[in-house]
Amino acid sequence: MTLVVRRFLIVAGLVLIAVVGAVLFEAFLSMERVLPFGHTRQGHVTGWVGLSVILFVFVYPIRKRVDRNRTWPRGWFQVHMVAGVVGPLLIVLHAGAHLHALVPILAMVAMGIVALSGIIGQAVHYLALRTLNEERRQFLQQGVSQDEAEARLHDVASREEAFRVWQLIHAPMTLMFMVLVVLHVIGALYFGGL
Amino acid sequence: MRFLPLPRTAVPVVAVATGVLLAWLGWGSIRHPEALWAPGDLSRYHADVARCVHCHEPFQGPSPAKCLACHSEKRFAVRSKPAVRDFHREVIAQQKTCLACHTEHRGALAQITTNAMFNPHGEFIFRATGTSSCSACHEFGADVVARPTLLDNDFVRHLFDEGEGAHHRGRMANCVQCHVSGQ
Repeated sequence: MTLVVRRFLIVAGLVLIAVVGAVLFEAFLSMERVLPFGHTRQGHVTGWVGLSVILFVFVYPIRKRVDRNRTWPRGWFQVHMVAGVVGPLLIVLHAGAHLHALVPILAMVAMGIVALSGIIGQAVHYLALRTLNEERRQFLQQGVSQDEAEARLHDVASREEAFRVWQLIHAPMTLMFMVLVVLHVIGALYFGGL
Repeated sequence: MRFLPLPRTAVPVVAVATGVLLAWLGWGSIRHPEALWAPGDLSRYHADVARCVHCHEPFQGPSPAKCLACHSEKRFAVRSKPAVRDFHREVIAQQKTCLACHTEHRGALAQITTNAMFNPHGEFIFRATGTSSCSACHEFGADVVARPTLLDNDFVRHLFDEGEGAHHRGRMANCVQCHVSGQ
């Protein structure tokens, strides 16, 4: 088992534990209640807090694009990562396993894709890319030709390419996620009251 | 060690996909609003309700006025037991919220009365006092779920007097404990 595959399995396991933990905690909070936790006042507050935390993730891409000449906003990237994990977990707590209406279900799926692709990008793809570049550099230092190095790195390169898909998913799906979130919030306020 | 930039086609493709999604959701909201927006299926009691706005006031939620459009005082008078009829008459008169006791979207087989008030005295109490409503002897809070307080009125005083000491606070709940044969 390579380093990248092991990292992938660890990340997948941690994500599973976090999501199952949040769903179980919601089930605990819903026990002995007429309405599920998400439909109570506390559940609504959890949803709003989750959304507020999620909104922090947008500071990083905005800062990165607004002024390209400035140094990379490392601090905001860390906020991006933390908010991108904590916010969705709060939303899982808000929703629990009570899925019926299609709009919030689609919003949850979109959120899951965005969050997972981000986690894969940072925790797995980055490692795959770094491993590929380091091994290529070592081959070149040993006097191996460029073509020969590329041939030897074929497996590592194809794995890196597979994990690179996250880039095609992460940012574009965010647009769809935000549209669905706005629809869900408007729907909840329209039918449930302000 | 830099990530590659997104292809130029990514943004228009996602914009088109989002537009298609919105159009589909708009169409679905007209054809199947419950599937898209409701947190659960309606109960069998309200299965014939066709449109969300029959019960929901936009941006105000389910309102007592919407409930009363079907569940009027007149309907309670015709179709309900006296205790239920009189209780709801007072709820309507005091403009209390129906949501304190009733809920919906919990599934076709679910009960919609969630905080139903249990009458510990049974129907016997109405025969004994000559009343037909719980509120003849009890004061209920705004949400009607909280434990009611006992009023100090003629009905209550008469009941206490009738008991010749056996009727007192804290010993009145279960009438048939002593009135075994209902006498």
